[in-house]
Amino acid sequence: MAEVTSGPAPYIYVSTRLRVRRAKLLRAEEYNRMLNMSLPEITRYIEELEYKTEIDELAPSFSGVDLVEVALSWNLAKEYQNVLALTPGSMAGFTAEYLRRWDIANVLTILRGRLQGFKPGKIKEVLIPAGALDRTVLDRIVTEESPERIAEGLRGTHLYQVVERELGPAVESGSFARFENELYKQYFADLIRAARAGIKGGSEFLQYIQLEIDITNMQNLWRLRAGGAIEEVRDYLIPGGRIPVDELNRLATAETVDEIVDSLKKRTNISALQDAIEELRCGCSVRQIENRLTRFKLEQMDRMSRRYPFSISPVLVYLERKRYEVYNLRAIARGKAANLAPERIQEYLVI
Amino acid sequence: MVDPVSASTVLTPEMITASQAGLKAVGAGLAVGLTGVGTGLAEMCIGTAAVGATAENRDMFGLALIFTVIPETIVIFGLVVALLLLF
Repeated sequence: MAEVTSGPAPYIYVSTRLRVRRAKLLRAEEYNRMLNMSLPEITRYIEELEYKTEIDELAPSFSGVDLVEVALSWNLAKEYQNVLALTPGSMAGFTAEYLRRWDIANVLTILRGRLQGFKPGKIKEVLIPAGALDRTVLDRIVTEESPERIAEGLRGTHLYQVVERELGPAVESGSFARFENELYKQYFADLIRAARAGIKGGSEFLQYIQLEIDITNMQNLWRLRAGGAIEEVRDYLIPGGRIPVDELNRLATAETVDEIVDSLKKRTNISALQDAIEELRCGCSVRQIENRLTRFKLEQMDRMSRRYPFSISPVLVYLERKRYEVYNLRAIARGKAANLAPERIQEYLVI
Repeated sequence: MVDPVSASTVLTPEMITASQAGLKAVGAGLAVGLTGVGTGLAEMCIGTAAVGATAENRDMFGLALIFTVIPETIVIFGLVVALLLLF
């Protein structure tokens, strides 16, 4: 059968499909309704939505919160791979680059799980094979006994360089924070390189990456300030955003929040970011600020997808929104399993 | 030898009528042809989006079909112009 591979048609097709899928994602009132349900009711509720196949398939092997969690992970991985298969040309390249974030998450989950003595079967339940490392590779490395063997199993992959350099010191110190940060720095550097490679649609992709870096840096800055780790701020900031790392590093030592906000607003001439910076002035807890910044990022991505309707933007909007839907459902399921009050669970939701 | 000037300038009324009819036919052809191309270009984008939307939600089929055929009006205008030219 003839396939249309050039012109705007494939981009219009994919953008429309993902816009429809995005419209089908759960709305705020549905989350609010779920907050007042019990865990079995939530399981039944999501079974009637897009998660039916996974819940039915996994119901004989799992129950309770584990069933919800594994079904959500499977659905997310399936959905991401499906989107990757749908996207044409340069869009597919950018989508694959974006999805490599899940490789980092999976490798870190495997390393942390194995070092804490979890069995491979238990770790496999929480892996989301949505990136370049497919289920076969992950199944192989999850059975390895030592971190060195896991690192060896990643030879030839895009993560190997950083893993080889940083894993030894991370295992010795017992903290994976720096290792994780280095992996994400490499990930964002790779994304920027892909966006600047001169491929059509790269500028829209670059706008998203810069937004993501700025928001992540602001979240990290707040988290580190709250934790009193001001000296280490520079190590945790990701270069490549619109707000320079030097500026953020200098502001880490500022006395008050107003000082930081005013200084950032003076240095930033991008109206969209000005709104995000203003959010920091709310005087809320670190979690609330992180939540607000994430919501701002999603709204800004929505705006970008309307400005560039047939670009990578609608694809990224769907992927990010889907990720937060799964994140929210998992938070509700875990919260309900731990008997938390609905108001408490609501604080964790990104709606 | 035939005088080239006198040979090319002699036009009979039959020739003029035939020439007018020919140009009308060319105009009619252009009216339908160009509007057809315009309609095709417009329908390409709408049709692609319509197929995408219907693939995700079958309930959209009726609405998507209506949106897809809206640019048909352009080629109908062309057809009307062509018919007015010819008859």
